Amino acid sequence: MTDKTNDPVAMWQKMMGEMEKGFNSFANQAMSSPEFSQALNRAGGVAAGAQKQLGDLMEKYLVAMNLPSRDQVTGLAERLQSIEGQLSEMKSILTQMAASSGISQSLDAAPRPPRTKRPPSENGGQT
Amino acid sequence: MNAPAGLDFASIPERIQSEVQRAIQRSIKGVEYFSTSGPSLGSTPKDVLHSRGTMNLYHYRPMSDEIYRVPVLIVMATTNRGYILDLVRGQSFIEFLLKRGYDVYMLDWSAPRPEEKSLRMEDYVLDFIPDCIRRVQADSGEQDVSLIGYCFGGVLSLLYGSIHKDGPMKNLICFTTPIDFREMKLFSNFSDRRYFDVDHLVDSVGNVPPEMILSSFEMLRPASRTVSQIQLWENIWNDEFVKSYRMFDRWATDTLPLAGEYFRTITKDLMWDNKLFNDTMSVAGRPAMLENITVPILHAVAEHDHIVPYDAAKHLIAKIGSADKDEVILKGGHVSLVAGANAVKRLWPKLDSWLGKRST
Repeated sequence: MTDKTNDPVAMWQKMMGEMEKGFNSFANQAMSSPEFSQALNRAGGVAAGAQKQLGDLMEKYLVAMNLPSRDQVTGLAERLQSIEGQLSEMKSILTQMAASSGISQSLDAAPRPPRTKRPPSENGGQT
Repeated sequence: MNAPAGLDFASIPERIQSEVQRAIQRSIKGVEYFSTSGPSLGSTPKDVLHSRGTMNLYHYRPMSDEIYRVPVLIVMATTNRGYILDLVRGQSFIEFLLKRGYDVYMLDWSAPRPEEKSLRMEDYVLDFIPDCIRRVQADSGEQDVSLIGYCFGGVLSLLYGSIHKDGPMKNLICFTTPIDFREMKLFSNFSDRRYFDVDHLVDSVGNVPPEMILSSFEMLRPASRTVSQIQLWENIWNDEFVKSYRMFDRWATDTLPLAGEYFRTITKDLMWDNKLFNDTMSVAGRPAMLENITVPILHAVAEHDHIVPYDAAKHLIAKIGSADKDEVILKGGHVSLVAGANAVKRLWPKLDSWLGKRST
């Protein structure tokens, strides 16, 4: 077997590992400064502002093109969500009714295992 | 002339042959890599018990002839998808729990829709979690429920538990859960209140875009993505390495947006005012003090966690009101603590031995 200290592949991998650690550590130090936070957030603020302006412009364009605006689509989505919620509630009520009338087993194909399991230490190490 | 210490000239031809073979394999597998998709993730059989907007409640089908009385509800972090806990067969935490006899449910998140930008912390803590717990109770027929929270899912579980001190939470397990947000030093600096205008951001974009969340995670280790891609190329001949790389890379880049109002509260109450640590946190006016939690609790933290450093998590156990409380520090990072080959050997058996005797 080749000694790892003279194995070029192992040396390369070690070098990569060290470089990664060193660069991460250096970058973390640089990113800990208030100046970095200020620069980062200035850039982020500009991007968010630009995104909002673009959104407003698109909204005006859609109105001009007689297409549904974002608010209208969102309104539709909210109504759909409300219908989904009501359907889900109805399904839940039906499941409960089925369970209380004793027909849950026929709705639920796989019967549930009994809730009688004890931890292995209480069973002499058996799981 | 003597060979330098450790250099075995006899092995050089063998080594060259091996490297040539790997180079050929790299070319073949490299083409394969780009022409195939990764392994199918999150495929343990489950039923969707309930879905409402960003919230999804799954019930995993039991894999044991006999199960513990108390069901387990896993609360996933709101920034990431739950399939990190259900990667592939043999590396799935969910599968492990099912085979050990637990009845497992998961509260997982979809990307919040634009109209869900107004979701607040109280929607998560006082609506989504209690709603899921009620549904778990109805589905299992049991009143008691154990919670497992991963990362920020742990914070949400703590807030829930501290407000609902009369139950029905039976046990609480937190994985890598921060409570002292000052100690998340880089995140703290990124969101420095002197420069970070969270109101402007949320008012401008609504939901916080996933790219921004992903960038902030990647900035913690800026060189690591490039190095991992170099490592992928070096090891592309190795199917197991490639499979693992694809699983974790897919999950790590599959970040979720965060609801705007919820993000505003996280920034102001947790990042700026550190209210959870300072015992001044409240949700919709209801005090959320950690000392109110008196159920058995286990906190698992990772020794080399760069996202939630140990200093940000270490005070949790001391501040909890329970008499039955444990912290376990394991080797690994933020993700390898809970998923992957090391978790199989370290965290999962530890959790099973702790939770099993508290689940009857």
